[in-house]
Amino acid sequence: MTNRWSSSLTLIAVLSGGIILNGCSTSVKRLDAGEVTDLSGEWNDTDSRLVSEEMIRDVLDRPWIDRFIEDKGNRPAVIVGEVRNLSHEHINVSAFINDIERELINSGGVDFVASKTERGEIRTERKDQELNASSNTAKQMGQELGADFMLKGSINTILDSEGDEQVRFYQVDLNLISLRDNRKVWAGQKKIKKLVDKSAFRL
Amino acid sequence: MRLRRLKNVNSTARYVLPFILGIIVLTQSACVSVSLERSEVESYLLRQQPEQALTTLESHKPEDRNKSIYLLDKAMLLRMQGRFEDSNSAFEEAKTLTQTLDAISLREQAAAVSINDSQRSYLPRIFEQVLVHCFQAINYLQLQQYGEARVEILQLNELLKQEDDIEIPFARYLSGLVFESNRELDNALISYRKAYQAYGSNNSAIPLMLKEDLLRLTDYLGLNDEHKDFLAEFALKAWPNQQEVNQQAHAIAIVFNGLMPRKHSLEIAVQSLTDDQLHRISTPFYEHRAVTIHRAELSAESSSASSELIAELDNHARAALENEMPAIIARTIARVSIKNAVVDKTHDNSPLLSLALNIATFLTEQADIRAWNTLPQQILIMRLNLPAGSHDLKLSLSGSNLPGTIQSWQGVDINKGESRLFSYHWPDSYVTQQSN
Repeated sequence: MTNRWSSSLTLIAVLSGGIILNGCSTSVKRLDAGEVTDLSGEWNDTDSRLVSEEMIRDVLDRPWIDRFIEDKGNRPAVIVGEVRNLSHEHINVSAFINDIERELINSGGVDFVASKTERGEIRTERKDQELNASSNTAKQMGQELGADFMLKGSINTILDSEGDEQVRFYQVDLNLISLRDNRKVWAGQKKIKKLVDKSAFRL
Repeated sequence: MRLRRLKNVNSTARYVLPFILGIIVLTQSACVSVSLERSEVESYLLRQQPEQALTTLESHKPEDRNKSIYLLDKAMLLRMQGRFEDSNSAFEEAKTLTQTLDAISLREQAAAVSINDSQRSYLPRIFEQVLVHCFQAINYLQLQQYGEARVEILQLNELLKQEDDIEIPFARYLSGLVFESNRELDNALISYRKAYQAYGSNNSAIPLMLKEDLLRLTDYLGLNDEHKDFLAEFALKAWPNQQEVNQQAHAIAIVFNGLMPRKHSLEIAVQSLTDDQLHRISTPFYEHRAVTIHRAELSAESSSASSELIAELDNHARAALENEMPAIIARTIARVSIKNAVVDKTHDNSPLLSLALNIATFLTEQADIRAWNTLPQQILIMRLNLPAGSHDLKLSLSGSNLPGTIQSWQGVDINKGESRLFSYHWPDSYVTQQSN
């Protein structure tokens, strides 16, 4: 009889098991900004940083830079143009461009020209200085550094999925194009491959 | 001995009965509250008041298992107010949650086979997941963020690749429009071809806009045989060629017409001949609704374009439910067996407890009638070809008791070769049949 009761209660427990609610709370843990944290398998800060570091190292190691210095006698001036996101993800391209700009500026190997938006803001300020700043501190118009090369590129992805597994293949292509004659003086490529294994079960 | 056993039974019943009552109260009250909230949101939408509908939605904190529907409704109500960025944030949250919910929860499965299907977290159906990408892409198109709209279309294509038995022609056609906005004519043609095939396999009429696009791009890309086949099939006397399209500006308006029919439950109560137990079998079905507008017109200066029906989303919802029905019935049978066994086991020891359990199992047997209810029932589309420049666009709807011009977009700048997309929601509709 006790067995019958216990089996009844077990079945009742099964009935009720479905409405047990899980409590949840938010926890925060500070991480080092350089630490690799892959959560969803999507493009993240680590990918952005690694790609920009590696590609800028490559662009600065290639012979175009020495040839330019030999020919012109000064460091080349570079500007970052559009990097098109052709991938399956809403990638924050601005963050990636910022990473590239930072690497280029800090390398000291090239001079760097401010972007179109930044230039607009600076020109407005310069115009304002012409009217309002003292003549010995106001900066002249028409003294800007013109870029010699533009860095342009794209981020592409190829996905291959089977069941709970997915291979994510990222390909970042960057080209350095001469503004004088449209010559491509450097073409860089970085590939990242990730295997994302989704859990088939959850709580 | 007998007295001691009776004492045990009574003490167990004392603890178990309130528990059973608790289950009934929890499941019934949650169900009633969700249903009331749905009706309130719907009534605001029918009165063309998406702001109040959103306030109502946000005033009820959703249970975790209903969070995905809450996010989808929220995203839709935000886009109805023209808050496209906020809408996309809510859609993104819903997508992330959907990825999590895609994994099986053993706890929820146990609840589904022991209490009812509504105890599981709502996993948006595939057609709903497809529409999430579509609405996000439309939001991005309206924000003129064509690259971001393209990302949504790539994700959509990936989803459709994995779910090859689902085909939503509108999603394919929209893909083509997005690729064209990104000046990728070859990819656009591939999408238009898939849209053409999907309309065919759904036995739906091929929209005139799609016919014109297929003729234009096969001609421009030099696919002469395919072009001749389409020409013979469509029998169109004229269509704009790519050179003309490149010189013109294009305004495309989409009208989201009506509201997705709601799900109801079909209840069958039966009494077992062997043990007199009461059983309830409850399965979901969609009501039937009718829209109140049948035609829309987009005009600017002296030009105008009439709408054509490009999607009937309620058909996709019904098809999805039909495909799901075998699994729903299998879970219902398993549940009835388990509940029956529980009641049987307790009967010998405590007839009172057994009766209480039978009532509990009867009352908790409810069909899962959750769905993304703020979706439109139909989609109408129209395209107006204009000279490049600034235009005042007007949208008029034809139907009973409607004002002439319902929406206008003033001083819209459209460049040469550019397509600008506009949308309008008209949820007004009425139920024509609320039985299966």
